[in-house]
Amino acid sequence: MASILFPISLAATLLMLLLTAVSVGADSGRQIRLGYLDHPGSLLCLLASEQGLFRAEGLSVALVRFPDSGSGLSALSAGRIDAGAFALGETLQRIAGGKELKIVAGGGTAPSGKLPAGQNEAAALELEGKGVVLAAGSLDKISLVKLVSALIRAHQSLQLQPEAAWRQALKLLRDPKPQRAVRFDPNPDYWRIEKLWRQLQLQGEGRPRDFLANHVYEEIYCDALDRLALGDGRDNAVLQELKSRAVCVPDCCSVPSGNLSTIKGGSR
Amino acid sequence: MRRIATFVLLLSLAAGTVYGAGLPKLKVGYVPEPAHGLYFVAKEKGYFKDAGVDVELFQFGSTAEGLAALKAGKLDVGTFGTTAPLLFISKGSEFTFIGGMMIGGQAIITRPERLAELSGKNLKVYKGKKIALVKLSTGDVIFKGALKKAGIDWKKEISFVEMGSVASVVEAVNKGSVDAGLVYPPHFSLAEKNHGLKVAHFIEEFYPDYTCCRIVALTKDVNADRDTYKKFLTALIRAYRFYKTNPDETVKIYTKALKIDEEIIRQETYVKRVAESNPDPLRKGILDFWKNMQDAGYVTQNYPVDKHINTSIYKDALDAVIKKEPKDKIYRQMLAFYKKNN
Repeated sequence: MASILFPISLAATLLMLLLTAVSVGADSGRQIRLGYLDHPGSLLCLLASEQGLFRAEGLSVALVRFPDSGSGLSALSAGRIDAGAFALGETLQRIAGGKELKIVAGGGTAPSGKLPAGQNEAAALELEGKGVVLAAGSLDKISLVKLVSALIRAHQSLQLQPEAAWRQALKLLRDPKPQRAVRFDPNPDYWRIEKLWRQLQLQGEGRPRDFLANHVYEEIYCDALDRLALGDGRDNAVLQELKSRAVCVPDCCSVPSGNLSTIKGGSR
Repeated sequence: MRRIATFVLLLSLAAGTVYGAGLPKLKVGYVPEPAHGLYFVAKEKGYFKDAGVDVELFQFGSTAEGLAALKAGKLDVGTFGTTAPLLFISKGSEFTFIGGMMIGGQAIITRPERLAELSGKNLKVYKGKKIALVKLSTGDVIFKGALKKAGIDWKKEISFVEMGSVASVVEAVNKGSVDAGLVYPPHFSLAEKNHGLKVAHFIEEFYPDYTCCRIVALTKDVNADRDTYKKFLTALIRAYRFYKTNPDETVKIYTKALKIDEEIIRQETYVKRVAESNPDPLRKGILDFWKNMQDAGYVTQNYPVDKHINTSIYKDALDAVIKKEPKDKIYRQMLAFYKKNN
């Protein structure tokens, strides 16, 4: 009996090893196609690439340039790219139209403080709508957390060494005179997005109250912040400032126990 | 002899299966805190099945994961703090608070040599101090609420250091990089035992009967199957009575379920009484908590959270229990507490 079982168990072990190897290879080796605009709002993506921050996170990222958000979002919806830094307003329009997009991080936005005196709130929100956010399609959660971690590191670099970072950016942007008055924030900031969603009147009647929340994945940003804070970022002032502004549901209760749940969370 | 034992075991398993068969099922999520122990008592003593509901318990280490599971319909009931469900509700999740599990519990720890400096019954001792906390934890929200009530402008007069986990808070206090830290059970007991740190205050000294973990369910499920949730709460009401009248057995049940040191559970539950395991929904406490979250700047929206609180199922369950045992002192006390807090 043992002589029959041995080859079977050996074959089973080899199969398991093969499946594991294929699975690991698929996860770690797959190239992520990241769309961007030739616009300073996409700068965090460009810097993360130029400074090797994606690679440092174990990601292989290929940048794909788009002339406008419309074509980029179409490519994202069609699965031709995995994620992209595109205009918030147009991204929301696509989400309202039924596209399954996840907003996982913020980007660069022209500050409303630059508006001439007397400009109203609508004009400020219009600027918000032109600002860039990182939207993703069906990319897995771990890759998204790593992707956003790299963007947060790029943001840190931009805050700590702005001149050097902009010099790098100017080499990457085709626009010879990019607008430098851009406010960068990797936080997707649900309430900022919700304000624009309301202003654009995208909620409509009959749509579930949590429709927008189901497309804004702040937990990805929160996980990325936690991950960086656990590393060398605990005393990092830029990281602390980002953490102080983020509204993240706290984890709790990591008490040793033998009966951890096998149920995992849903889409959010 | 072994055959007889096997037969008896099989018979009891079969009986158990038949006993639970046909009952409505509820998947219940919780976090591993001693004060969540009513679930284990109700399970161990057979109160859920007596009430007519088959409950399966699932432990989570993350409130966000737990609520996401509830939202996705993978759980029927969740007990994941107060902050997290309120944040989810403010962003559109259709949850309803139907009961509670824990009142109070958070403590401020410090190094032993700093204890005298932070003693006394006045929150002013924390002015000018550096305090570590887990942002948006119950302790964070309630402590800031207590400071506001005491007329202390915490934004100017106290320096809060936000940490990613309660373990980091304990570490910061232990290293002396902060003056004090806000932690929840059983971490202050563990900090005392493992690092010799001391509890300077329990937040309840400044803010009595504040809400900690609340019981939430999907609104549509509560509306569609009110009776099952009433049965569930009936079992918890009976478990509360057991917890109040059988300390030794309760400690053993909690210890077995949570794998936490028995002495820590005994101390927290019956000696220091750091938290109360109580199934009352505490509607006023939830509304107060929401106000504190707004005051702290964690939510800017004015959302009517009151419409997400259902106290009537609990009240019906309590009334039914009292009808069966009208002279029971504990149940009468629960009714008085309900009237005061809802």
